[in-house]
Amino acid sequence: MASLPIEQRLLHYFLAMGAQQSQDSSNPGTLSFLMGNERVLVSILTAVDAIERNRVIGTFLRVSSLRSAGIQLYVAVPRLLGATFDAQIFRSSGIGLLLFDDRRIEETIKPQSVQSPTVMQPTLTNATPDPTVLSELASLKSMYDEMERNMNRMMAEFKLLRENAPTHTLHIQSPEPVRFESTHRAETPFQSTMIGEGALPSFFTNNPWLDVLSKRGKTEAAPFAG
Amino acid sequence: MTIENYRSHYTFGMDFGTSDFKFGPITCGENPRIVNNRGYFPDKSSLVYRAFETAADVVVGDEVPLYLQSSEDLTSRLVYPMKNGMIDKDDDSAWKVVGALCQFGLDAFPVTSNNGFRGYNIVASLSAVSPRYMYERLLELFREGNASGKVRAVTVVPQPFAVAIGHGVTTCVVIESGHGNSQVCPISKYPIRSAQVALNRGGGDANAVTSEILKDAGYGDLAGEESLVRRVKESIGLVPGDLDAAITEAKRTPRKFRAKHKVPGTRVEIDLDKDSWTRFLIGEYVFNPNHEIFESYFGRGMPRPRDVKMGETTFRGMLDFGDAIVASVERCPVELQPMLYREILLSGGNFSWRVPESMDGVAVDAQTKVKSLLRMKGIRNVSVKMTTSPQFSVWHGCIIYGFAVPDDYEWDWQRLEGWMRISGQSAD
Repeated sequence: MASLPIEQRLLHYFLAMGAQQSQDSSNPGTLSFLMGNERVLVSILTAVDAIERNRVIGTFLRVSSLRSAGIQLYVAVPRLLGATFDAQIFRSSGIGLLLFDDRRIEETIKPQSVQSPTVMQPTLTNATPDPTVLSELASLKSMYDEMERNMNRMMAEFKLLRENAPTHTLHIQSPEPVRFESTHRAETPFQSTMIGEGALPSFFTNNPWLDVLSKRGKTEAAPFAG
Repeated sequence: MTIENYRSHYTFGMDFGTSDFKFGPITCGENPRIVNNRGYFPDKSSLVYRAFETAADVVVGDEVPLYLQSSEDLTSRLVYPMKNGMIDKDDDSAWKVVGALCQFGLDAFPVTSNNGFRGYNIVASLSAVSPRYMYERLLELFREGNASGKVRAVTVVPQPFAVAIGHGVTTCVVIESGHGNSQVCPISKYPIRSAQVALNRGGGDANAVTSEILKDAGYGDLAGEESLVRRVKESIGLVPGDLDAAITEAKRTPRKFRAKHKVPGTRVEIDLDKDSWTRFLIGEYVFNPNHEIFESYFGRGMPRPRDVKMGETTFRGMLDFGDAIVASVERCPVELQPMLYREILLSGGNFSWRVPESMDGVAVDAQTKVKSLLRMKGIRNVSVKMTTSPQFSVWHGCIIYGFAVPDDYEWDWQRLEGWMRISGQSAD
């Protein structure tokens, strides 16, 4: 492993951490990865760089300029030179420090993400889908499919009716209002944790038992209930 | 707050299945919570418990595995109360487990009392063959255990009835087949209790045949491991459209029907090789154990499913599913019978049989098999369906029942329906 260049070793290190390599040409001289919703940028300071003050300052200035929300920044430094840097400088600027030698790479200081002053609007590319919203969408989709099926069936029946009785005027009664539309829900704030306010599970959709059971105790005939 | 508003938040379903307890309020959405329908009675006389533990008398839910000790211990201390769908009147341990599960279910969904909560309307579901005393004991458990005031009203519905409600069919025959037994229950807006037929045959019997097949194939050492046998059944078991034709076909082209099962994580591979035709016996036995080929297994010691009387119900051992449906439907009024045959609903894990694509036509699914059994009895105009959500359809039915049945429909011991008021508080 030590025979590989440090760039390759850092690539393996971050891949092992679950990151994905990102081709980012906007920041030359840095390695770029995607870790969950955040971007990780790593700038390498080699032993040759570290003995030249301007190169060190240049590297830190460049890294600092990249700091923004959703980005974690690291500077990778040879372990032998680790003692020459004051950890406080890294902590105060939120930059992470990776120390490496021939055998291993070690995260000595964790980077700190920039806290956005306002609530961040998740972008389409990095938003994690909310499972509640997904299940709500799935139930809406099934309701829509069911509605579409019913509509097609009704259209077919309507067509058949029109064909069979072309000379008669059809008297169509206005349909019964859907039971749940008329229900005023959530007059007081309820604690309903799993489905949203106003939502009933999808198995309620077009279920004829709602009508049958709502008449229990009113129509007393239960001739077969042995 | 209107009563409909109240019910759309505080209706609670509890499905006491033979192996799982599914529970949760209407706000769970599509899927309730599941725990094993079992309870563990810790040995409270042991010194360790006396010194350190303050365990409950009976442990239920997710914590049970933490208390399990030696396997010898399990048989006496781990209780599955609904193993056969029924609990004996005097089986106090089983009733304690049921009480603890009810409490566990309610505690799993805490509510604050300042948002209009006056207790849940609970719909519990029991096996269709549950005798009246099970209803009495269960309702009594809620009445006694309502110190926290979480229960407003309770009702109990039979599982096949709940399946029909969950599936949205008001006139149908529901066949519920579990591990230990199966029930055929006609529904016509009400469960037609007098026409129910119970069978003393379920998934456990298919396991027994699988075990015999493994012994014959030289895997006698594995045939005693129940969970392995069940996995083998699920992996290689097939339902034949016609058993004789399937056996002939499988013997003619043994490579096509070869039954192999590799046990994951081990070196064990089961290969029935030239006896692969026996895989069809596993499925056939569930639907029809009367074929003469099973006589050789009975003769060698496999117990024949017997007629058993439990409570007031006789569970028939050897009745095939076709005969059971016909017997049940023919106890209903003649004009209702065609409508019942037109909607036959299959529910329960014992009807989940796969059909490998290459064997299509020889192997069939449960719906096709039931249709074919009915065709042999001369019943042709039938529609057989699987429930859309076999695992949760009972719970779905409980939730719809609890939401729709009027609040003022009082419990009726004659019909075994209505609300048994517990806390006496109104939601209006």
